[in-house]
Amino acid sequence: MKKRARFALYAIAAVVILSASGLKNSYATDLTAEQADLVKANCLSIKGSLNQLHASDALLRVNRGQIYESMGTKLMASFNSRLSNNSLDNKGLVAVTNSYQSALSTFRSDFQTYEQQLSTAIKIDCTKDPSTFHASLELARTNRATVRQDIIRMNRYIDDYRSAVNDFMLNFERVTGKNS
Amino acid sequence: MEDKPTTPVVDEQLSFWDEHRFMVLIVVTILISLVMVSISIFIYKVSGSAQLDLSRPGLQSVSDKVDRTDPVTDYSPFGPVNKNTVNDFTKIYEKQAARAKAVDAFNGDPLNPDVLEFSDPSTATE
Repeated sequence: MKKRARFALYAIAAVVILSASGLKNSYATDLTAEQADLVKANCLSIKGSLNQLHASDALLRVNRGQIYESMGTKLMASFNSRLSNNSLDNKGLVAVTNSYQSALSTFRSDFQTYEQQLSTAIKIDCTKDPSTFHASLELARTNRATVRQDIIRMNRYIDDYRSAVNDFMLNFERVTGKNS
Repeated sequence: MEDKPTTPVVDEQLSFWDEHRFMVLIVVTILISLVMVSISIFIYKVSGSAQLDLSRPGLQSVSDKVDRTDPVTDYSPFGPVNKNTVNDFTKIYEKQAARAKAVDAFNGDPLNPDVLEFSDPSTATE
């Protein structure tokens, strides 16, 4: 029994060490000397580009976010409520809406993580510490890709909801007759 | 005429709190306001409100580009459900869905070292 416990402990330790080293590799900070020189030389222009990206992404978050929020509250939730108020089966639609709301919530938190990481990267002095700057930038890059995936997921749920409305309509016509 | 007896003056010793009451009031007020401000800033940062605040330094350039009118039309949660009302909903929904997907948000890879022009020259692709 003790041997088993010890084996399990070793296995867990190995998994933790391997995943930690994998994580370290994925955010490798090893800038070549040439790259470090380039970062130092172009620090000002890189910072300018990052500031522009920071501003344009913030605007995108506000404008896109508003549309995605409204899709959930003003359309999906309202239509679900109307079906519910008429005692109609809206389980399929509610399930898609819940998934959409969850994706929206993930988008909000992922964007927050990305924005904070980008701000951190912008604050680092790339003339003095190009490696840390690069590492921070790589992390922001990964976070931005996650935000992009969240958008794709929300768009998919928007399509799913449309399909669910079609399914509802087919079922509704079948149950009530085409004249309803 | 006889003088009225004067009341004896008692040299009352004021306690520390009695003596510094006003100062304590001011200090406590400042401390409470500092705590309240700290809590507000914490909530502002944690809740994600900061990300929606375009009046922050560096973001003023885009603050006038915010879409102030919500383009999504409300759909009433009350009313009958029939083929016509569902069709009305799908029309509104499709219009808004197209609007939501019109912009390919957060696409591309602007943080790529190639884009920021500091990629490793030895591994650069032609």
